[in-house]
Order: sequence, then structure tokens, then C-alpha cells
Amino acid sequence: MGFFVFLPLVLPLTAWPIARLAEQHLHPRTATRLLTGVATVMAACSTLCLALVMVVGTAQLPGNPLPDGWSDPEVRAAVPYDEIVGKAAIPALGAVLAACARALWRHGRVRRRAHRALAGLPATGVAVLPEAAPYAYALPGRQRDRVVVTTGLLEHLEPAERRALFAHERAHLAAGHHRFLLAVQLAARANPFLRPLRTAVVYTAERWADEEAAQRVGSRRTVASAIGKAALVSRGTPAATLAGFAAPGPVPRRVAALLGPAPAVRCWPSLFTSVGLAAWCAAAGTAASAMSSANSAVTMVLILYAATPL
Amino acid sequence: MTEHRQRARRRGQGELEALVLRALREADGPATAGWVQERLGGGLAYTTVITILTRLLAKGAVTRERAGRSFAWTPDSDQAGLAAHRMRRVLDAESDREAVLASFVTGLGPDDERLLRELLDQSRGED
Repeated sequence: MGFFVFLPLVLPLTAWPIARLAEQHLHPRTATRLLTGVATVMAACSTLCLALVMVVGTAQLPGNPLPDGWSDPEVRAAVPYDEIVGKAAIPALGAVLAACARALWRHGRVRRRAHRALAGLPATGVAVLPEAAPYAYALPGRQRDRVVVTTGLLEHLEPAERRALFAHERAHLAAGHHRFLLAVQLAARANPFLRPLRTAVVYTAERWADEEAAQRVGSRRTVASAIGKAALVSRGTPAATLAGFAAPGPVPRRVAALLGPAPAVRCWPSLFTSVGLAAWCAAAGTAASAMSSANSAVTMVLILYAATPL
Repeated sequence: MTEHRQRARRRGQGELEALVLRALREADGPATAGWVQERLGGGLAYTTVITILTRLLAKGAVTRERAGRSFAWTPDSDQAGLAAHRMRRVLDAESDREAVLASFVTGLGPDDERLLRELLDQSRGED
């Protein structure tokens, strides 16, 4: 299996161009699905690859619980026996699993707490909270999905803009965007090279909901002004960007996109454009990642099966 | 295990707060803790009622005024107000809540506000 086992660790780099271009050139729905799919497969392959390298690493440890045959010279000759990489893979895999477990746990905790906070209210799809701080979000739930919005935000919006806000949040819930977001969160923790994909999906999911809302209320401009006003009244919340970082943040980009024409729905971009090339590059990277980790896994299983005295 | 028990206890507190608040709102005017305890009937100790009322006071959900040797309590906010307060605490406790809850808008960067105003003015000008 040789160096193939390490490929899935770096192949996420092939998805960087599409993560950058999808926002501009693909319909947000296509972009969200494509990037989430690519990120999930690549994260799974990269974790599997870490696990395979870890087997080699643990075989070196004295007193390991593995069968003796696994540290045979023949096995070592067949698997990439590298003391440093093998041992480094053990804490790396531990860190990945811990980070993913922590992300899952936090996700569940925030949702549980938010639902509990709304416990005394009538069981409706929309919870309006009397609160000066302007915020709104979609809260997915097992029994009931809810849209949470404060009076502080609603009072700044015209009736049509309120409809746009609710349509946006309902679109998040109807399409299950929280699942996409959770998947890319976990992927970004499994392999740091996948972080640009997470950033891209967080943005395209918002754009997806914006486009759905624009269709529902029948006016792109209304959605744009709802987003703009909401962002301006809640500007007290600090943005998670570096000061002096010149690129415009997500909110102005969303507003600008809504003030422009509606994005075309294409299934798969042509190869002869930059975005097409980037998409095919990511697809090839994903396929290579899947194949090399499958190849490594099969080789490893065969070798170890042969080396294990039964 | 202890965490599980704690969670059960915390949920109990939330429900008790809602019960006490509802009882207070059924009163004509300010009510004493003893009246609330009587109103709620079985099971609740006087000190528990006092504890819950004090907690509601800290949350701004009730007000109190001295009446003789004890306090008279008045509800100041309804269920929605209490829910808003609890939600605020949930959001404040999560440093990167963006990671979990897809909020309608995120914060604005240094130049974003100017850019946003320009965009909105432009769109208004086209009307």
C-alpha cells in the first residue's frame, strides 16, 4: 500500500478551488450538496487512513494487545513501517475522535438547552421572544422545528421583510440545513485541510435559504433589505473576522447576490470553465481519496489476516 | 450520572419557576410567598417558594415590595419574557453558537457596514 495510505490526508487540497469558486458560479443548493458530499467522503477516508497508520504505530508499542504476528518483519516490510509517523498517528487519531465527539456533544447540548429555554411557551412553529437584542434563528427539533425571533428584530422590519425572514428560517428547517452544517463541522475537525469547505458551506447554506425565501415572497429585493436591516440593527455582535481583513463579510455578499440576478440551476458545470475544472478536480480528488483508502484498507486486512495465526 | 441528576433538577427548576409565575399572575395584586405556597398546594416547602421567587427576582421576572414583616411579590414578566431571558443565557454561554444555530445574520466586519449601506441605498434608488 506504500505511500497511498497517506494520500487521503492531503487530497482535501484538491477541493480548495471548488470551495472558492462554488459560491460565485454554482446555485447555492448545488454548491451546498456538492461541497458537503466531498467534505464528508474525504473526512471519512482521511480518518480511515489515520486508523490504518495507527495500527502500524501501535504494533510497535511494547505490550500492545495486538496479535504478535502483526509486528512480524514481513508485515513491517509490507506496510509503511515508519516509526515516527506510526506513533504520531496514535495521538492524531485520538485528537480527531475527541474533537468530533466534542462537536457532536456541543451541538446536542445547545439544541437541548435552547428547546428547554422555550419550554413554557405555547407549542407553535414560531417563538417570538420579548427581547431588545435583535436575533433570529432556526431551531431544529425532534418533535417540532421552531423559528426563534425577538421583538427587537421584528420591530425594525416591514411586514414584507418579516415574511422574508420567516421564509428564510423555514427554508433552513425544511431542507435540514443543520445536517449539512454538522457534517462539515465534523469534517473540518477530522482534517484541518477541509476547513475552507466548512466556511464555504456555512455561506452557501445561508444563500440557499435566501434564494428559497426570495422565491417564496416573490421579491429578491425584499429579502436583501431584510438581511441588510437585520445586520445593521444587530451590528453590536462582533464579527469573527480579523481586523483589516479586506474581503467583504458574508452579509454584504449575500445582499449583493440577492440584488443581482437569480442563479441558474445547473446540474453539473461544463468542464471547459474554471468552475467546471475545479468541480472535476474535487471529484477526482474524492474518488482518488476513496480508492486509495479502500485499497490500503483491503491490503492491510489481507496482510494482517495472513499474519494472524488462527 | 451526577450530570444526569443535575439536568433533571435543572429542568425541575424551570418548571417550578413557570408554576410560581402562573400562580402570581392569578393573584389580584401583590401576593406573599405564603399565598403562593397555598395556591400551589402540595409538596412545595415555604423555603423552596422563597428560593424560586428570589431567582425570578434576579431574572427580572418579578418585583417585590416590603409589606409588614414579609415581601409582597408582583409578576413583572410573562412566560415569553422568562423564555427570552433563558434563551439569552443559552446564547451567551455558547461562544461559537454560529457553529450550531444558523442565525439569520452574522456580525459585520470592519468595512461591511459601509458596503451594506451603499448596497441598500443603491437598491432603494432603483425603485
